Amino acid sequence: MLDQFILGLSVVMQPNVLIYAFFGVFLGQLIGVLPGVGAITAISLLLPVTFYLDATTSMILLAGIYYGSQYGGSIASILLNLPGTPSSVVTCLEGYPLAQSNRAGLALFVAAFSSFLGGMVGVAVLVLAAIPMTVIALKFGAPEYAMLVIIGLLAASMIGTGSQIRSLAMVVLGIALGLVGADATTGYYRFVAMPELADGISLVSLAMGLFGVSEVIRHASRRPMRGAAPLSVSMRDVIPTRAQAKSLVFPIVRGSSIGSFFGALPGTGAAIASFMAYAIEKRFSRKPEKFGTGHLPGLAAPESANNAASQTGFIPTLTLGVPGDAVMALIIGALILNGIIPGPRLMVDQPELFWGVIASFFVGNIILLLINIPLIKLWVLLLRIPYQKLYPMILLMICVGVYSHRTSVTDVLLTLAFGILGYLMKNYRFEPAPVLLGFVLGPLLEDNFRRTMLLYGGDFTIFVTRPISAVLFVCSVILIVWALWSCLSLRRKVARTSP
Amino acid sequence: MANIEDHGGQSKAARAVSGGVLLAAGLVISFFAWGYPTGSLNQMGPGFFPQTIGILISLLAVTILIVDLRHPALERPSAIQWRGLCFVSVGIIIFALLVERAGLVPSMFLAVGVSMFADDQAKPLTVLIYAITAAALGWLLFLVGLELPIPAFWRL
Amino acid sequence: MFKKLLTTLPLMAALALPAAAQEFPDRALRIVHGFGPGGNADTVARIVAEEMSKGLGQPVVVESRPGAGGTVASGYVSNEDPDGYTMQLMVGGHAVAAGLYESLPYESVDGFTFISTLGQFPFIVAARSGEYESMEALIAAAAAAPGTIKIGHSGVGSTQHLTGELLDLRTDADFLHIPYKGGAAASTALMGGEVDVVIDTGTVIRPQAEAGVYDILAITSGERWPDAPDVPTVSETVAEGFDVVSWTGIGMPAGVPDEIADRIRSEVHAALAATSVNDMISSLGAQPSPSTGEEMTALIEDQISVWTDVIESAGIEKR
Repeated sequence: MLDQFILGLSVVMQPNVLIYAFFGVFLGQLIGVLPGVGAITAISLLLPVTFYLDATTSMILLAGIYYGSQYGGSIASILLNLPGTPSSVVTCLEGYPLAQSNRAGLALFVAAFSSFLGGMVGVAVLVLAAIPMTVIALKFGAPEYAMLVIIGLLAASMIGTGSQIRSLAMVVLGIALGLVGADATTGYYRFVAMPELADGISLVSLAMGLFGVSEVIRHASRRPMRGAAPLSVSMRDVIPTRAQAKSLVFPIVRGSSIGSFFGALPGTGAAIASFMAYAIEKRFSRKPEKFGTGHLPGLAAPESANNAASQTGFIPTLTLGVPGDAVMALIIGALILNGIIPGPRLMVDQPELFWGVIASFFVGNIILLLINIPLIKLWVLLLRIPYQKLYPMILLMICVGVYSHRTSVTDVLLTLAFGILGYLMKNYRFEPAPVLLGFVLGPLLEDNFRRTMLLYGGDFTIFVTRPISAVLFVCSVILIVWALWSCLSLRRKVARTSP
Repeated sequence: MANIEDHGGQSKAARAVSGGVLLAAGLVISFFAWGYPTGSLNQMGPGFFPQTIGILISLLAVTILIVDLRHPALERPSAIQWRGLCFVSVGIIIFALLVERAGLVPSMFLAVGVSMFADDQAKPLTVLIYAITAAALGWLLFLVGLELPIPAFWRL
Repeated sequence: MFKKLLTTLPLMAALALPAAAQEFPDRALRIVHGFGPGGNADTVARIVAEEMSKGLGQPVVVESRPGAGGTVASGYVSNEDPDGYTMQLMVGGHAVAAGLYESLPYESVDGFTFISTLGQFPFIVAARSGEYESMEALIAAAAAAPGTIKIGHSGVGSTQHLTGELLDLRTDADFLHIPYKGGAAASTALMGGEVDVVIDTGTVIRPQAEAGVYDILAITSGERWPDAPDVPTVSETVAEGFDVVSWTGIGMPAGVPDEIADRIRSEVHAALAATSVNDMISSLGAQPSPSTGEEMTALIEDQISVWTDVIESAGIEKR
């Protein structure tokens, strides 16, 4: 594998290829910062450009935009509480409190560095284990996905800071919102109050509303919401202390492993990976009460997970020619434009393309780290701007981002509705993050569960008779028992401490 | 969601708000979901999941209701920021209504201008300058930079 | 801006736009389509737009208005002014929607000025390598064990799904139809052994067939397809007269003046002749097919009647 990887490196290190790798990640990073304007917009915009480039260069450019935008996404989440993608929702949970307590620089540094390490682990998995991972991914049928999603939903209900039952209720509310639109199995319209809802509620509307707009409503008229950021940021405030760094080693290792695994499963990807990583950190932590208040391990783990996942997400695309999500489909589209139809033979027929692209991930992650560290100072300066001058721009970007996403006015109005909902929810101690996760996972659960029933004639035992599914089933039972047990023991503790 | 305005502190009614509203949501979902075909186990209909979810939300809502009512010292919900809520809402609504009629630049200008009054210390002149700047920056970023297919001024 | 920066970055050949000043068009045109950015429809629209803008001397922007299987976009376009500045990239689903939806916010045929088809493509019936010897063997097996052989398709009401249902109607076979989200997911399920057959386009099937993962059993067009003359048709093997070909094409709101429609048509045909568009369409497994407006109208009317029948006979839920 290593000599092939070196072949790949030799492709990337050609100046005219390298410059596209640089532009790809740079552009991706910039676009990722803009809420609502995702990698898809950027990639589809640049698609015609790739027609003038060869296949390898196009793919390096487009892939760079994709994982570059993952880096950018965390910046908006940390500074402004604006998650552009489901995977950056958990970044908000710890990153935004850090920024509000004047530690934005530290948060950005930790996010960038964990992203870098996660990305590198993802690349290593891609180089060393692409084929075995593909074999495993193909073993995941509908029952396995259904069980996996159930585990994900359980994890989702654990990420809130408040009461478990409220979080669980929000997960289920999220699933309910995910039901809106045409049913995937029969096409039947459910809760379609107006024709624009036929394809369901847009994730971008929901995320921008619950997180972005609600935050603006809460703070627009209230001042000061935070102490002014320091005028200049010294590198010492940005780099974690030795003790902090030490506490991040295992979260990053766990996050990257979780991310690498989930990324390779087509269709689940980075979102599940990042909050699984978060939930596991919270469970493993000796200080679970610190989560939600700007706890660094809770930032590092999901950041490394989603970047690892965005690299291993290329596994099904590269080894099978099967796009895992819309972005991958777009990248495959670019290859097709160049007359290469990616499939299982890509690795054999086009080794320079295959390995060149993988090597470009390696180089791209290094470039991203190098451009991110100096930019931190600049980003922190953004917080010098008083919130009263910042929020109209935030609203503007949300409006344009959401509108351009599906060219839909309804989506903009829905974003407002979710903003008000999110605002009221928080007033009544309900948290938005579980809603979003339920919304993402709910349709996956229904889809795979019903497909399982259709495939195996309504036989429930299928979940325990298929080996992988059985293991996942046991895991989810353990999770439920664990949650109940910790819930009860917590209550006992509370009963003991409060008179 | 009408009774949510009624946040009187720690009276029984106020403590029932979160559970109550959620219960209402659960019942509404169940009500609509009951009209959808349930199907059989191996040919599940589109109603199966919504019905389950509706019941689940209602059950969780009842649990929350009980927990909240029995809770000795429930945190008082913070007062609603009416000013922020109104001006932000109107700003977004103006954007939504104008973007396909008047184009991106005027709608950005008005959305920013109106929403700035959510801040009670906003001064008209500052707002005007700021909104013009914002619209110009937005034009540069979204139309010149990203080439989003939205007309700047409708059909001009 | 970024786009221009990148195209000219390593001194790529600059594209000089012909500065032809004409009455029509005097401003930007747009191609609306009803699918998410990044799908095949979007890609085709962008490539065609890029080519057409050269001929028209005005930018042609692509606008994605996804929703309800493309019907949101159709409803939008059919209500726009027929001034020639709004085009729609249509796909085979336009004809399916006529039968699938209880009510549509537009007239499927009379609400549009059809310009030209861009490409036509058949579907391919594929199974894992070595599972079935031939199309006849597959149908025989599916007839012998009703409801057990599974066809994975790319979504309820997709042309792929209806083609499978049509196979049920025209032969003795009785397949179990399993919906997936898109052809790629269905194809993964076939690879993983969850379903036995997939009917989809060449883009989905061919790479796997070339790698020896799939066997191609038959092609759904009425005649053998020029790109794959060795592949037998469904018609010649198991169901005489079986003919399913899907298409993409350009339409405009009803009432576009003839001279403008003709102008657009000639630009579409010119774009189709350009190598970039031609290559793109062929690599998607389609045959470039410039047509007249009448030909496109006839094709759509014909397909509406076929799919409406299939939807009713197969008992597919209307929306």
